[in-house]
Amino acid sequence: MRIFDLALKDLSQMFRDKRSLLFLVVMPIVFTFFMGFAYKNVGGDPNVDNRLPLAVINPEPDAVLNKALVTRLESSDSIRIESMNEMDAMDTFHKGGVAGVLIIPSGFSDQVSAGNEAQLTLIADPTSASGQSLYQLLRVPISQLMSAVEISRETTDILGKADSSAEQSAAFDLAWDKWTQASKISLVKMEQAVAEESSDWTGGNPYNQSSPGILVQFAIFGLVTSAQILVQEKKTRTLQRLITTAMKPWEIVAGHMLAMFTVTFLQTAMLVVFGQWVLSVDYLREPIGVLLVAVTLGLWVSSMGLLIGVIAMDEQQVILYSMIAMFLFSAMGGTWFPLETTGGAFAAIGKVMPSTWAMTGLQNILIRGLGIESVWMAVGLLAAYALFFFVLAVWRFKKIEV
Amino acid sequence: MSFAVEVNHLKKSFGDFQAVQDANFFAASGEVLSLLGPNGAGKSTTISMLSGLLAPTSGDACIMGHSIIKEPEHAKASLGVVPQDIALYPDLSARENLVFWGKMYGLRGTVLKSRVDEVLEVIGLSDRQKDHVGKFSGGMKRRVNIGAALLHKPDVVIMDEPTVGIDPQSRRHILNNVKELNQLGMTVLYTTHYMEEAAELSHHIAIMDKGRIIAYGTHDELIKMVGEQTRIDLTLNTEAEKILSAWQKTEGVSKIDSADGKITALVDDSNRVLPRLFDAASKANVRITSVDIQEPNLETVFLHLTGRALRD
Ligand SMILES: Nc1ncnc2c1ncn2[C@@H]1O[C@H](COP(=O)(O)OP(=O)(O)O)[C@@H](O)[C@H]1O
Ligand SMILES: [Mg+2]
Repeated sequence: MRIFDLALKDLSQMFRDKRSLLFLVVMPIVFTFFMGFAYKNVGGDPNVDNRLPLAVINPEPDAVLNKALVTRLESSDSIRIESMNEMDAMDTFHKGGVAGVLIIPSGFSDQVSAGNEAQLTLIADPTSASGQSLYQLLRVPISQLMSAVEISRETTDILGKADSSAEQSAAFDLAWDKWTQASKISLVKMEQAVAEESSDWTGGNPYNQSSPGILVQFAIFGLVTSAQILVQEKKTRTLQRLITTAMKPWEIVAGHMLAMFTVTFLQTAMLVVFGQWVLSVDYLREPIGVLLVAVTLGLWVSSMGLLIGVIAMDEQQVILYSMIAMFLFSAMGGTWFPLETTGGAFAAIGKVMPSTWAMTGLQNILIRGLGIESVWMAVGLLAAYALFFFVLAVWRFKKIEV
Repeated sequence: MSFAVEVNHLKKSFGDFQAVQDANFFAASGEVLSLLGPNGAGKSTTISMLSGLLAPTSGDACIMGHSIIKEPEHAKASLGVVPQDIALYPDLSARENLVFWGKMYGLRGTVLKSRVDEVLEVIGLSDRQKDHVGKFSGGMKRRVNIGAALLHKPDVVIMDEPTVGIDPQSRRHILNNVKELNQLGMTVLYTTHYMEEAAELSHHIAIMDKGRIIAYGTHDELIKMVGEQTRIDLTLNTEAEKILSAWQKTEGVSKIDSADGKITALVDDSNRVLPRLFDAASKANVRITSVDIQEPNLETVFLHLTGRALRD
């Protein structure tokens, strides 16, 4: 109960200062618009080939199934096929020249037609947007190809024809045609949607990048306001008085963290609502997933605010530490620009940043169109970071003397 | 007799520096105990340990029988602490501050409301309760600072130099508050470097210097320590240094020190010693501008014990 009273007091102090409204409400909205416009202009050039480059290792280009698959992929709006040998392909992939490598094994067509197992291999980075998209884009045509083969085999088996290979081939053509047509008619919409989303980093709506980016970034920026409360508490000596009351140290820490969490969470919720209804960023496609990311993001940011508040001696230090946190976590976390475009060391560091995972979680939902299972990793990591910072903050808090 | 505050071999070191060295004292239930000592004596450090802000290096203390080390929450619950520095939210009103602190002490609802009203009455700020504390004068802030520690009707109130740097009117108000609270049955542990305050308020006085409790007793017991000696206060037309060492060697002078332009001497018999002091002054070409022969007081006691004057 006292924890809530303390949090309420913090919140009333924060909102009494009109400047916090500027930081917490006005600036994130303005920046979302601004960044959205910036992406619109970058991604909007129609002459640029935005299709995902895919290296295909195809040792038997003339085999029936190989041909069928490649032709189908080449006609895609979202994939650009580049045939090459295995060494070149891997080399190009590692240099970032292609988003993935599809390996069609030798004898694939014959083996599959004969009903044997033969596996296609996709080499791609599953944590990147392009890798995720490739996987999604290839899944449909490949499963259709396999089922067409299966249908043709079953049909000829049932008919029990002697010259089965010619019959099977005719049946395959029939089934494959149907699939191809079907995908043009009923599946075309889905493929278009996926293709558009993966054609650039913004998934068609430039706010898909700017809205979650600003959301994560301003959650961190909110530290300037929320960590300040704790420093003021030290400056006015009220923190010392709090310690002399019967409140336990963890209650004091929890009360302040609750206030910081509430501010971060409310700000995130506001930006989600704004993104959803004003900018058509479809957060509510997976409401539970977005909620989970928002909660763990809030926990992580507020635990970091707590730590900053505990170590900072004055307002200037709060601003300094918050700025460091913001540059470190925002820039490295892909909230300013997608990490896929940087490559190298930046992308590597970025992969361990909690902010990256907050972005990944939201983008899995917004840009990659994935379901709730795609945010578990992000949610778990954010929670782990939150716990780490919280423990650190409590440890430092207990060391405060007079 | 039951003790409200018991301090046993309390020590606090900051690195090599021993701010409090083996402090032992007791406050009986319902009394006012003053901790009297100059700045830097270790009063606030002692208070901070009692109120849970500093962990003692060694030793222990009990508040209403609860050890500050073993059961800090129980000890704190019986305690109201008035810190030396104002510890309030300047951007909240006097009432909002008191309501908040009342909640932190676990008060709720109508009890909280009536306690806040009572405390505002006690500190004499009912009519200014809606004003922000940041706009208050130093004296008014001090009064709210005290009020915030009284809301939960603690058994023991600790006040750390609550009258430093305020106008005489507020000071009088606070001293009267201390007496009232004590009459209501609260035990008060009061620290000060003003000997008049200690003399006026306390049942017992512990004199502290350089981290040690150097004397303990009632006001009269302490005065008796000085014995038959007389205290003489003198002022000069020049710096005290010019004559101090000469006077120190004068026969009959047991202790002498200067503070804030005033020289205080402890002498065996003023009738015989004073002419010698005048003699030495003329030889050193120093003119005495005033002489005041005083009844011994706590300042005399401090001078007697330490050889130093109790500075303001
Ligand atoms: N946190 C600290 N670190 C180092 N020295 C300290 C600290 N707090 C107090 N001191 C020193 O301990 C001594 C006693 O200080 P304090 O208890 O504040 O005295 P008082 O309240 O009697 O004026 C002083 O010399 C002071 O400088
Ligand atoms: Mg002090």
